[in-house]
Formats: sequence, structure tokens, C-alpha cells
Amino acid sequence: MLSNIDDATLMKIAEAFGNEEAIQLIGILKNSEQITDDEIANKTGLKLNFVRKILYKLYDHSLVSLRRTRDPKTGWFIFHWKLQPDQLEGFILSQKRRVLEKLNTRLEYEKNHDFYYCNTPGCKRVPFEEAVELVFKCPVCGKALMHCDNAKFVQSLMRKVEVLRKELGE
Amino acid sequence: MIFNIHLFILNHVYINMDDLELVKMPKRNDLEQRALQFVINTGFEGVLQSELWRHLGASSREGSRIALKLEEKGLVRREKELRDGRWTYRLYPKRIPASIDSIADCPCLMCPDNPRCDPSGPVSPQDCDKLTEWLLSVSRNEPNASIALGDS
Repeated sequence: MLSNIDDATLMKIAEAFGNEEAIQLIGILKNSEQITDDEIANKTGLKLNFVRKILYKLYDHSLVSLRRTRDPKTGWFIFHWKLQPDQLEGFILSQKRRVLEKLNTRLEYEKNHDFYYCNTPGCKRVPFEEAVELVFKCPVCGKALMHCDNAKFVQSLMRKVEVLRKELGE
Repeated sequence: MIFNIHLFILNHVYINMDDLELVKMPKRNDLEQRALQFVINTGFEGVLQSELWRHLGASSREGSRIALKLEEKGLVRREKELRDGRWTYRLYPKRIPASIDSIADCPCLMCPDNPRCDPSGPVSPQDCDKLTEWLLSVSRNEPNASIALGDS
């Protein structure tokens, strides 16, 4: 199946999977039909166990496939890895759906609660119910908890949700 | 006897020619995939058909066949364009490539706490610090933004 993902997006996915090493690894997979983890380690200079760790992560999301053969001399298994470009679009969509679900949960929570905050960096906001239990005193710094308006935060959150909905065609 | 030798030579030569063809000719599907990838990478700019086949190292005949094939499959759009006094086609990807930009830096993407992240669980999107930080950075990058978690 033909893929509909450009190289820049592929590299961004690689970035999400880790770091420079994942980008290097995907770059190599992209340019080879099939490659063993040993060959990847030799080409990138990365440790074999680290290469395998990234490959298994990619495999968990079906972004790579593997074929197993046995080395006739040693009897050990050799894993041949292949990038599955046709799975990338599905991966992006499923991740977007997951993030959208989380943002919706957060949006509901923000809309349905009043928050109190001591205005000290590093301290957490607490919802009204918790603030009552704490007698409106911050449990960390001891300062008084004041009402804080989250309207702008909610608006920004709603915009993000809308963007993701549009991208998913909902 | 002479006839048999001729036949043998003919077969032999024929097989060798065939093998050579197999080595030289890349698979059509392979070329199509490379062509599509190239067109997709050009995005809204599109690419001239002539540039495409030059990039692929294919002949103009092969190039236009591939372009037609991709158009038939509904993967690219071809638009006529006058270039240096000659009519040619510009190819555009038909579907905008799926983009990960909107969630690329979202901490939920590869969060190790993902299996236990639930509104009723120990880790929740309702009060996750990493998610809050991301949402704040997103809102800060919006035009006319000056948002803190509590605005009063």
C-alpha cells in the first residue's frame, strides 16, 4: 500500500519516539528494504540493546514489521526489520484520537470546577471542594488560597479540542 | 545436431537477456511509490512531470505512464501548465498528508504513565502536571495570548 506521509512528518514521529537516535534509526529503515538490528547498530554506532529497544517500541505501534530467520552456523535467530509506511497515517490518527479524549476529559473538569490558588510558583491549584477541606490555606506554602478564573485557559483548551476535531473530521 | 546446438544457444542467450532486463528494470510499484513520495513531499507547490521523471531517473515515457497511473488511482492531481513555451503537467498530491504537528510535543504521546492514566486512576488528565504545562505552552503560543492557569 502506498503511504501518504511526507518525510518531515516521519521524522517528527521518530522524534516523538525518543530522540536523535530514533531519528537516525528511522532514517536508515526508510532507506532500506529490510535490515537486521545488527546492521542498524553498525551503521549508527548505537548500542545493539538500545537499537532493539527503539525497534520494539516501533513494533508495538505496528510501525515496523519483522521477519525471523535462523543463523545456520550459530542457530540463533536473526530479526529482519522493515518500516511499514502504510501504518503511519493510522498511527497519527489513533494518537490524535487518544489526545482528544484526554483533552475532552480535562475540558469537562475545568468547566465544572472552581479553582483556588495561592499564586506561588510550584504550588498546585486546588478545586473548591478540596480548598474547603484545607480551610483555604495552601498545604505547601501555607499562604491563603484565592479564587482563580480559568476562563481563558478553558477557551484555549476548547480551541485545541476544535483543531483536533477538525483534523479528525469529527 | 546443428539444429539442436542453435536451439541451445538461442535459449541460453534469451535467458541471459531476460535476466539482464530483470536487473535493469525497477519494479513498477517501486517507482510508483517513489514518485508518490516525491509528489507528497512537494506539498502544495506540486512538481512538474518532467522534474519528477528526471528525479526518478526514469524515461519521459515511463514518467508520464507513472503519473497517469497515480492519477487513475486518485493519488495525485494533474494540471496543465505552460513551461518554456511547451505544455506540460504539474502534479499535486490529492490528499493532504496526515500531519502530527498539532500533537507532536504533547506529553501524552509517549507517556510512560499511559496505561494507568484515567480520570479515576492515580494519574489523570484532570490534574496531570505535564499535560497542564503543555496546554499552557500551547496557549502561550497562540496570537494575543497571555494566559496563566488562573487569570485573576
